[in-house]
Order: sequence, then C-alpha cells, then structure tokens
Amino acid sequence: MMNTKTPMRSNQILKRIIILLIIAVVLVVFSYGWTVTDIDLAVPQEPQRQENVGNALRELLSPNVFTQDYEVSAYTTNFRITCSDSEIIPPTTPSDSPYIVVEPTCGEGDETVTVFGYNLPANGLARMNWIGEDGERRIRQVNGENEDNFVVRDDGTFSVQIQVPRIRGTTGEIHTVELQARIPVGLPRFSNTTNLVMEKMIETIFLALIATAVSILPSAILSFMAAHNLMRPIRAQFGSLMVSFTLLPVGWLLGVLLLYPVGQFAFRLGSENVLVAFGAVVVVIAGGIVLLPRINTLKDLIPIVIVRRLLNTALITILILFIVGLIGGLGELFRASFPRGTFANVSTFIDDIFVYMGAFIGSLGEIIEFTLQVVAGLTGAFALSSLGTSLAKEPLKKTDTTFNHLLGGILGALGGAILLGMTATIGLSAAWMGLLTPIVAGALATTLLPQAYRWFVPKPEVPNQTDRNILRVLAWTSGVIGFFVTFTLLNVGQSLVEGMLPAQQPVLTINGANLYQYVAFAMGIGAVFGGFAGGLGGVRGTFPFGSAIYNTTRTILNTLRSIEPLIMGLVFVIWVGIGPFAGVLALALHSIASLGKLYSEQIESIDAGPIEALQSTGANRLQTIMYAVVPQIIPPYIAFTMYRWDINVRMSTIIGFVGGGGVGFLLQQQINLLQYRNAGVAVLAIAIVVSILDYASAAIRERYT
Amino acid sequence: MLIIENLTKVYDNGFMALDNISLEIPDGQFVAIIGLSGSGKSTLLRCINRLIDPTKGRIIWNGLDITAATDDELRQIRRRIGMIFQQFNLVKRSTVLTNVMSGRLGYINPVYSLFNYFPPKEKARAMAALERVGIPEKANNRASALSGGQQQRVGIARTLMQEPEMMLADEPVASLDPATSHSVMKYLELLNQEDKMTILCSLHFLSLARAYSHRVIALKDGKIEFDGHPKDIDNDRFKMIYGEDAVEVEIH
Ligand SMILES: Nc1ncnc2c1ncn2[C@@H]1O[C@H](COP(=O)(O)OP(=O)(O)OP(=O)(O)O)[C@@H](O)[C@H]1O
Ligand SMILES: [Mg+2]
Repeated sequence: MMNTKTPMRSNQILKRIIILLIIAVVLVVFSYGWTVTDIDLAVPQEPQRQENVGNALRELLSPNVFTQDYEVSAYTTNFRITCSDSEIIPPTTPSDSPYIVVEPTCGEGDETVTVFGYNLPANGLARMNWIGEDGERRIRQVNGENEDNFVVRDDGTFSVQIQVPRIRGTTGEIHTVELQARIPVGLPRFSNTTNLVMEKMIETIFLALIATAVSILPSAILSFMAAHNLMRPIRAQFGSLMVSFTLLPVGWLLGVLLLYPVGQFAFRLGSENVLVAFGAVVVVIAGGIVLLPRINTLKDLIPIVIVRRLLNTALITILILFIVGLIGGLGELFRASFPRGTFANVSTFIDDIFVYMGAFIGSLGEIIEFTLQVVAGLTGAFALSSLGTSLAKEPLKKTDTTFNHLLGGILGALGGAILLGMTATIGLSAAWMGLLTPIVAGALATTLLPQAYRWFVPKPEVPNQTDRNILRVLAWTSGVIGFFVTFTLLNVGQSLVEGMLPAQQPVLTINGANLYQYVAFAMGIGAVFGGFAGGLGGVRGTFPFGSAIYNTTRTILNTLRSIEPLIMGLVFVIWVGIGPFAGVLALALHSIASLGKLYSEQIESIDAGPIEALQSTGANRLQTIMYAVVPQIIPPYIAFTMYRWDINVRMSTIIGFVGGGGVGFLLQQQINLLQYRNAGVAVLAIAIVVSILDYASAAIRERYT
Repeated sequence: MLIIENLTKVYDNGFMALDNISLEIPDGQFVAIIGLSGSGKSTLLRCINRLIDPTKGRIIWNGLDITAATDDELRQIRRRIGMIFQQFNLVKRSTVLTNVMSGRLGYINPVYSLFNYFPPKEKARAMAALERVGIPEKANNRASALSGGQQQRVGIARTLMQEPEMMLADEPVASLDPATSHSVMKYLELLNQEDKMTILCSLHFLSLARAYSHRVIALKDGKIEFDGHPKDIDNDRFKMIYGEDAVEVEIH
C-alpha cells in the first residue's frame, strides 16, 4: 500500500479555494436572480388566485371543439290542486314511448311531489315546468337545490322532487306538470370556433411554409459566404479587387438597363401560355447545347481577349436572366393553368391539391417577378466586376514599384471613399446607425499599422510567433485608433446621446441628389484610410477578400438572428399592415439569418478530402464547390430546412400576437375576451399541428443525417 | 523530370515540416517515400501540386516552375498530375461514375459544371477508366457502398481521367488490408509500366517499397535521411530511418 497521507500540494489547496469561491459567486448570483424575478411563494397559495387559475385552466382544458344540435320535447301529466274523491286522475299506463308520472297526483301548494320519468333519452338534459290554468310556465327547481336542470339517468329514467307552486284561488284546478327534455339531433359537429381555428391554422401553416421557402435561396447563398473553410483561402490582388469594387455600381446599372428587360421578356414568355412557354424552354435548352460548347471556339474567331471575355460574359448573363425569368413565368403559368375546378370532375381532393400547389409555385414565380430587377442588377454587377478583376489582374501584376504604390494609393482612396460614403449614407437613417461608419473605418484601419510595420521590417522568411503577435497587436491598435478618430471627427457621440441624426447640410447637389457634409466628411476619412492602406500595400499586394466577406456576412447574420421575430413582426406590421403577409416577412427574415448560420456550419463541417482531391485535378473553385461541397451539404440542408419549417410553424402561431396573421391573432382575441374555452381550441390545434410537424420533421431529418 | 530545389515548408504555427529538400526525379520512375509518421511525407507530396504552398524553394517540372505558376497556370499543371489519398477522398454520396468524371473537370467547360453536365464522350472515358481498374459494374453505385480497396480503385480511375503524366500517391494503401494493398499497388505498377507514369508514392511499409519501387527516399524530421535503391536499406539504415527500437515487419 502506498502512503495515503500525502501532503496536500499548494495547487490542490488553490483549486479548492477556487471551487469554494465559484460556489459563493453562484450563490450570490442566484439569490440576486431570485429577488429580481419577484419570486414570492405566498402569492400562488392565495385562495382567490388558486380559484381563478383553476377556472381558467378548467376552461382551457375544456375546449369548445364540438357542438351539437338539440330538439326540445315536452312530456306532460296532470296534477289536481287539493285532493278529492270525485275526480281521480287516471294513472298513466306504462308504454315504450317516453312518459312521466307524478306522485301523488294531487295535493296542495308548497307540498313536495315526486316526478318519475321513463324511456327518456339517456343522460339528456331536462327541466321541470309547472303550468297552471292560466297557461303560465313556471320553472321548478328540483330536489330543493338551486338547479333548474337535471340529467336523466343512464337507463332513461329519473325521479326528482319538486314543490307544487302556490297559486292563488286554485282549489280543484287541474294543472299540468311538464318535462322539457333536450334530445340531440344528428351527430356532433365542429363548433364555429373550431372551423375558424382550422381556417386560421391553414393560414398559419402556409405562412410558415412560404416564409421558409422564401428564405432557402438567400440563406443558401449567404451560407457559402459565412463558411470560413471556403472563404479563408480566398485572397485577391488588392488592385484588381478595387477595380471590381468600382465596377460594381456600373455593372448594376448595366444589369438593370440591359438584363432586366431580358428577364421580363422571358417571364412574359413563360407565363403567356403553355405553347409559348414550352417553345421558350426548348429554345433555352437548344441554345445552351449549341452555344455553350462552342464558347471555347470563340478563341479562334475573336483574337482580342477583352472582346471575347465581354461577349462570353454577356452571353452567360443573358442566359441566366432568361432562365430565371422563364422559371418565374412558368410558376405563374402553373398557377393560372389550374384554377379551382380544373379537376373538380375527377376529385375535389386532387383539385384542392392543384390549387394549393398553384398557390405555392405561383408565389415563387411572383417572388422571381418582384426580385427580377434586383437579380438583373446583381448579375450585372458581379459579372462586370469579376470580368474587371480577371482582366486587371495580370497587367497590374506587372506594375513597377513606384507605380504599384501610387496606383494602390489612388485605388485605395477611391475604394475607401465609396465604402465609407455608403456606410455614412446608411448612418443618416438613424442615430445609432451612425456607429456603422466608425466600425467600418476601424476595420479598414486595422491594416494600416501592420503594413507600416512591414514597410520597415520585412516579412521573415520563416513565419514566427513573435512577428505574428506584433502584427496582431498593431492591427488592434490601429483598428481602435481608427474607430475613435472617425467617431470623434463625425461627432457620432453627440448624436448617440441626443438621439438626433447628424446635421445634414448639402455641400454639393448633382442632378437633384445631395451630397451631405456628413457623408462627404466620411468619404474623406475613407479616402485617407483607404489611400494609406492601398498605398502601403500596393496594387500587387494581396487582400484577404474571403475573410472580409466572411466577417461581414457573419456579423450581419448574427445581428439579424439576435432580433426576435416578434419584434421584426411589429416592424413589418407597420410597413405592410396587419395580416399574414407581415408574418411571412418577419419569419422569412429571421429564417434567412438562422438558416444561413445553420447551413454555413454544415459547410464548415464537411469532409475536406474531396475538396482537396478535386483541387488536385485542376478543377476551378466553382467546380470544386459544385462537385465536392454541394453533394455533401444537400442532405443536411434538407434536414435543416424541415427543422426551420417546424420552428416557423411554432413561431407563426404566436406571430399573430403582434398582428402577423395566423392562429395567434385568434388566440389573443379569445384570451382578451376571457373566452378560455375558445382559446382552448386554438391551443389544442397548435399542439396537434406542432407535434405532427415535430414528428414529421424529426423523421425526415433522421433520414438525411 | 521533376526537380525540387531547396524546398522548405514552415506551417503557420512555425513548425518546420520540410527542411531544405532537394531532389531530382526522372520521368517514369517509381519512387517510394518512407519515413515515420510526421516526417513530412504528405507535406512533400502536397507541395509538388501546391495543395500546400511551399515557404521557400522551387519545384520545376518539365521546365515549368510550379512554385511560380499563376492560378490559371497552376490548374493547367494540376490537370497533368494525378493524386490519390489514404482516405480515398471520394464524394461518398455521389455515384462512382460522377466521382470518376469529376477527375475531368479541369478539361471541360466550367459552365457545364453549373448544370451538372458532362459530355457523353467524358462518360465513355469514365467507363473505360473504371474498366481499367476492374469495377465497371459499380458505376452507378454510391461511392460509400464500396469497400476500401474498390474506393481506392475509383480514386485511381478519377486520376486516369486527367490523363496524368505523374501520379502522387499519399499512403494509398495505409487503410487497406495486406491483400487489397497489393492489388492496389499492382495498379500503380501497371500505370508506371504501361503508361510510363512517374509515380511518387508514400508508404508505411518498407516491404511494399521494396516490392514495387525503383527508388526509396526516406524522410526524417523533414530532411532526406536516405535516397537510393530499396535493396540498399540494410538493418542499420532501417534503424536510422525508423529509430532504434523499430523492427521491420513484412507485408505479404
Ligand atoms: N496544417 C498544419 N499546421 C501545422 N503543422 C502541420 C500541419 N500539417 C502537418 N503539420 C505537421 O507537419 C509535420 C509533417 O506532417 P506530414 O503530414 O507531412 O507527415 P507525414 O509524414 O505525412 O505523417 P503521416 O505518416 O502520419 O501521414 C507533422 O509533425 C505535423 O504535425
Ligand atoms: Mg501523411
């Protein structure tokens, strides 16, 4: 045996002290939390509150789902006031049909008599009436209780005691004892509340579906930009990047002017009629098959590289817009081709399915129609700027040292001015948006000191940790300095405190568009920072383009995700009014942020082997993504999209609380009216739909992961 | 001819994986690269097609400076250098045929790839490649449904699509059983003999190197410890490469 009494080492003692400290801190945190959250164990025990909650829960758990039609039947027997021998009321003879007997059959006012009933509807609700000779009906409370109604027994019989009413001057009168029994007619059916809830539930599911569908494409695109394993390695030559940056607005303009009409034309072709749409599809496919393989042969036809590339780009962008427009048009055509009743003679179910499908596909078509201009602009912008990048790259590479830095400074100043001009314009919209410019300026400035350091201390041949640490510290320092310099120069602090927008004096007016002093100032700062960064780095220097995109996308996604859909719903209700549309927009926006993140995490966790393998075959970046990344992410994308739909259904059930449509609006209404039994129906419907979807999405996810 | 001059690779964390390596490899040679785990075999192979960018030094292949190539030039060069991997690096969910055809991406119009389209003659080429490695019947199976040896043969078929002049093989048989290892090595031998392909193959087992290679290069801590004919590795040399405690095991 070893000696168990080893002396406690000092780090062990330290460890225990730390554990004790942690326990103490946790205790303090929890006690503070207890107080802050108003926890008071006495309140739930107050009898009044317990009764209230009991009632509310009872009603919630007795949802008003069904309703029943009733018919009220009356059965009578006679009763004589004051017994006498002369007129005896004959006893009722037993029969199969319902009847009642009163015992005794005569008596005085205030006497208690017993009424028996036979062959009545079992468990039916019934009440006793007393009808005097004046014909007036008096409800008799049964068994001396404070109850008008009673329930017939299982075997269709009952016996109740009622009091003979005292009616003035009534000796010898024959009164009628009447039983009113309620008999259900037909089968129980759904209540009006249920029908309304079901209608709203369908609206809810569609709301969630469309919000999810709309978010898929944007989040898929964003997910690529937010995946560090794809973006990190992308570095671009600074000069060609700046060229492409300045070409972006030009490309946008060209896209809107030239490509948008192409898309519109294709949309019209697609939505016109089946024949035209079919023709257009054939033309696209044939055009693709004939033209695309011959693109490479252009080399011999047109020897000038720029012209050839321009033609190439034009051809491809036109094709893209044509296809996008055509798909949108086909969506519209689909909806128009199957109006309600198309398959009515086959089956209403199939008819319904086509109507629903038409609504969905048609919506997608409509979305394409609405966004066609943006798509055209973006396509143009990206096409032209990527063309500019690749054309500028080689010539810029050959610039000599002086020219390299001079040109870098000029292009950097231009790019910086455009960038901060954009952020400052956004900053004019709200006081706190003013923070955007200092933040971006700070990010821009992070390159300044490290580059200046590189100017004096050349890059070590073998990378080492000290050098990297120095660079990191310098980057942070210059970033923070850049932030505060911009913050001070633009007087952001004042507008933050006062909640006011920066003063807006136009310094320049071109074609009615004002250049505000604030924006001009920001552009100046951008030009200085960008100019220095570009000048130090030179046009030939590399810029971590991928990381910049990655960080920007991540920041936007994280910010969007931190805003609750209910709050987004509030804003959209102001924008587009109360109703499901506002809900769709709110959920779609939140879904884009959330799916973008989830998707990008899937990209980050894929097997890198195939990427490496395809790179080694000489495939370009796009091909590598298509063949090594996309096949790996399709299953998790499907799974997460299902998951998101599931979440969106949950959220759309409450988005109605802020006016976003769906079943939530109904729920809130009924709760406000204290109609808990009606609210219970909505709660039940939500529970059913959510659990079905939960199950379905889990099943699908399991298949794909 | 592949000429490697003063090749050095220092990873971002400062670790020197290759230390001033110089080599000349004539066309058509079957070279085995051996060495302990972490000795830099994978790093050396990946520097040759620049999956890893070397820190210093030059790599010149048939007069082309690979280390100075632009992105476009590099893709042209990579098309002619096949590479297979220990983990096969197939896209598991795609079919065998798609995996094989993806070896041709460097040659076909990138626009096709947007639409996931391969011309019919490339499909025929892929079938021929699969026939060459003996598994044409698996063309439409998912890659994940194949055994390890079959997957590695798909990997070889994928490189055949490149019509390569040189093959880099990074421990191609390290996750295979001995019998399967030999069948895969036989295919490499065939490519070397029939197609006159230069082959650089890193291996864990000296016995495999002895059986298939013309020349063995042993790495140790990023330096060349031995460069010569396989039969010149005697027990002393072996202990120098693998350490004092190592014992040579045979693989049959
Ligand atoms: N990305 C990286 N960053 C830092 N160090 C790395 C990286 N990749 C490899 N190394 C290190 O470089 C050295 C050589 O690695 P390499 O993969 O080339 O060895 P190897 O000979 O192929 O080993 P094995 O037989 O285990 O595959 C190892 O010590 C490894 O830890
Ligand atoms: Mg290795």
